[in-house]
Amino acid sequence: MLDRASTFADPEIIEMLKSKFVPVAIDQAYQRRQQDTEGDFYRRIAGAGPRADFKKTTQGLYIADPAGHLIAYNNNRGAERIRKLMEKALAEYTPPKATPLTAEILDAKFHPEPPEGGLVVRVHAKILGGYASPKDEWEKIFQSAVARDNLWITKTEHEALVAGEFPPVLAERLARFHLIDNTRGEPPMWTKDEVRKLDITMADGKISGQVELKTATGSRGFNAELHGLVRVENGRVTQFDCVARGDYWGHGQYTGGAPEGKFPLAVSFQLANGSDPADTIPPEGSRFWVDGYLRPQ
Amino acid sequence: MTWNRWFVFALALAIVPTLELRGAQEWDDTLFADLLKEVCQCPDEAWRTIPWKTDLLEAQRLSLAESKPIFIWAMDGHPLGCT
Repeated sequence: MLDRASTFADPEIIEMLKSKFVPVAIDQAYQRRQQDTEGDFYRRIAGAGPRADFKKTTQGLYIADPAGHLIAYNNNRGAERIRKLMEKALAEYTPPKATPLTAEILDAKFHPEPPEGGLVVRVHAKILGGYASPKDEWEKIFQSAVARDNLWITKTEHEALVAGEFPPVLAERLARFHLIDNTRGEPPMWTKDEVRKLDITMADGKISGQVELKTATGSRGFNAELHGLVRVENGRVTQFDCVARGDYWGHGQYTGGAPEGKFPLAVSFQLANGSDPADTIPPEGSRFWVDGYLRPQ
Repeated sequence: MTWNRWFVFALALAIVPTLELRGAQEWDDTLFADLLKEVCQCPDEAWRTIPWKTDLLEAQRLSLAESKPIFIWAMDGHPLGCT
């Protein structure tokens, strides 16, 4: 969130990335583990930096050449620092001799594909109020952040929606992996036991529902109401608009800084059309275990 | 209190519960549409105008073809998604 509104909002950095670099965005939790061509290439670059232990995070900003040589690394924020890093890298850059890489080996575990015949739905989350006045620029960014993820719908579930039903397994996936406050980073997902009430139905193309989610200690929870529309044309879902809104409370290990007490959170769902690079990203809840995401246990 | 003031007072009593309901934001088509619009990433946000690749090998090939260095935004969680 912070990088988006600081480093990658800087006009000079944007211009350099558009014209003088090849920008790529990755969840390094995949690449540092992948036993394939892409994983090897990433580890060659990251291994030359300060975060060379691939059992731990290697997150940061890397500048590299196509032969896999690391040119620069930084994991700090702030446009000025990154702009200087980029300018220095460009000044020293000499294109190396290298071979174009193709995925000769593909570690399938880390390359999940959306279910064939299914749907990809864009999921956005936003806190609608409840924050105290921000103390600095960074807090201000967090407080206005809109999170993005994707919901995957299987072929069978797609067919059920076409037939006018909202499948229970889809309701459970939607609640456990997507009714979350991911506006400040990676949040914990809900376990089966934490789903206290789940009632999502569809009639005449309209979705309605009530969901109550709460941890065993009650330290985190979300009571939400859902409303939505599903349009079907020629045997396919062509519109899936849904919003969940309600009171959320608490935070996870990596999502500190939530508003005090209960606060309004809204999560929206809209069909992806492939026009956004983020449409290709696997759901956060499917990380390393797509089956567990598609068939929650 | 004049009749006019009584009338305004009575009108206010009638209106206040309606405002409170709107304040609590009961669901209706307008609220639904407003929420869908508000809880969405705007496509013209500055960082989204950058032509991000999501495949490192595709970036490597492009880097080679265009003689440009690769800029990798590597995060915990996908940078175009939740972090």
